[in-house]
Amino acid sequence: MATTAESQTTAPVATAPTVLHTGTRFTRVLGVLTIASLAVLALFGLIISPEDITQGESVRILYIHVGTVWVAYLAFVVTAVSSAAYLWKRTRSLTWDRIAGASAEIGVVFMALTLLAGALWGRLSWGTFWVWDARVTTTAFLFITYVGYLAVRGLGGSHQQRARRSAVVALLAVLEIPLVHFSVKLWRSVHQDASVADRTSNVTLDDTMLFTLMLATVAFTLLYVWYVFHRQRVLTLEDAMDDSGLDLALAERRREGEVAR
Amino acid sequence: MKDLGFILASYISAFGAAGALAWWVLRRGRTLARQLPDEDKPWT
Amino acid sequence: MNTWSLARLVALKDLRVEMRSRVVINQVVPFAALVMVLFAFALDNDAALTRTAPGLVWLGTIFSLLVLVQRSFAIETADGALDALRVAGVSTPGLFLGKSIALAVELLVLEVLLVVLAIVLYGVEVQGMGVVLLVTTLLPATTGLAFVGTLYGGLAAGARGRETLLPLLMFPVVAPVLIGATRATEAAFGIDGAAIEEGWPWVGMLLLFAALFGAGGTLAFGPLIEE
Repeated sequence: MATTAESQTTAPVATAPTVLHTGTRFTRVLGVLTIASLAVLALFGLIISPEDITQGESVRILYIHVGTVWVAYLAFVVTAVSSAAYLWKRTRSLTWDRIAGASAEIGVVFMALTLLAGALWGRLSWGTFWVWDARVTTTAFLFITYVGYLAVRGLGGSHQQRARRSAVVALLAVLEIPLVHFSVKLWRSVHQDASVADRTSNVTLDDTMLFTLMLATVAFTLLYVWYVFHRQRVLTLEDAMDDSGLDLALAERRREGEVAR
Repeated sequence: MKDLGFILASYISAFGAAGALAWWVLRRGRTLARQLPDEDKPWT
Repeated sequence: MNTWSLARLVALKDLRVEMRSRVVINQVVPFAALVMVLFAFALDNDAALTRTAPGLVWLGTIFSLLVLVQRSFAIETADGALDALRVAGVSTPGLFLGKSIALAVELLVLEVLLVVLAIVLYGVEVQGMGVVLLVTTLLPATTGLAFVGTLYGGLAAGARGRETLLPLLMFPVVAPVLIGATRATEAAFGIDGAAIEEGWPWVGMLLLFAALFGAGGTLAFGPLIEE
């Protein structure tokens, strides 16, 4: 951290940064793997994998849908666990808070993608964009809850306040989401169309399709991990900027003043 | 035909969102890393 | 001072403030009645109104909850009262429970009004065991809503740009109550031939919800209102 006392009384912060990005060898390798697997996914998903016997070509959307929903829920779990890790005194560290935030951001995006792909697929194979069952409704609720979580992160205050507040909100979400799922499930089980419960259940997969499905899961997971690493580092910088940004700006102004003289 | 349109829409939105997120986080990272000293970067 | 006596003190304080200012009676009650009338305008179909009456009652409740929660915390932030309480080292569980109790009382009054309006305006009927079911639905549902409202209300209170956060945070969380209370009320009103027995599992779910958010809220309220 930049030493505040120095920059206010003597010369401005002297050391010019040598590291100008948030990458490391690990994330670079991860990034290459991500791009490669996504490319292969596009190839298999759109071209190589066969059409389904009953669903036809629309099954191709399922690869995206299943891949994104897995990451969306993974992100949710990571946010919850990181929030707990922050709140527990022995592991308290703002890094957990930043991981929770980074995970939630990409989680929200993937949840939106899941709902979009699901709606498109549902329209093609069942004629409806939406169905009021427990899984779809819970995913929609998770999405909205996360939007709320990100809004709470933006409320301001110190880093610690943000961290504690949003950690509590994340854990309350862990309480809320199963309740929503349970109540919607109970609600829909009363209706006659309970037998049409799972729209994805009558897709029969051959080997290539199964491979593509797993590939989608792997590819999006790699993307998720890559993103969380980078985003968490960016958040570290954002926080550092908040802390020493004023000092750096003052140092800049002072430097400009000296040059002008 | 509707099928193709929807299929492409799902792939383009997914890959597009992935690309946009990646581009944004790398850009933001570079902007901030240029302005802050190395001590603030624990991954180095 | 132990948690329960603090809760009683805070609850009585909030209710006394309401008695003197009459904000709920003068503003929120008419608002709730107005919402019930607007539903009738929107649905424009007597049969549909009767069928959806339970849902409309609970929707009206949730919209009123929003206003009640904002009011509950407006009286705290007006003169920095909440900050004063926190600085005084007041136990936050007691504060949470006290405000929840006051909110629950106000909410209960509103719900009774909404049920009466449903009977008068939407043509629903309830008798015998239905009344018993209705009352047993109102209690845990109201308690659960009060807990959730107080919890997120504390978070959304005060600073600019925060009040608008309240519905976004609160509505997803109260969805199970909306589902459960509506289904139980449908059974109580005998909508579409629903039998009274169908309501009891939902009452159970409402009790579970209230218990979970009572416990969760007691723990979470402190960290959420801390600045």
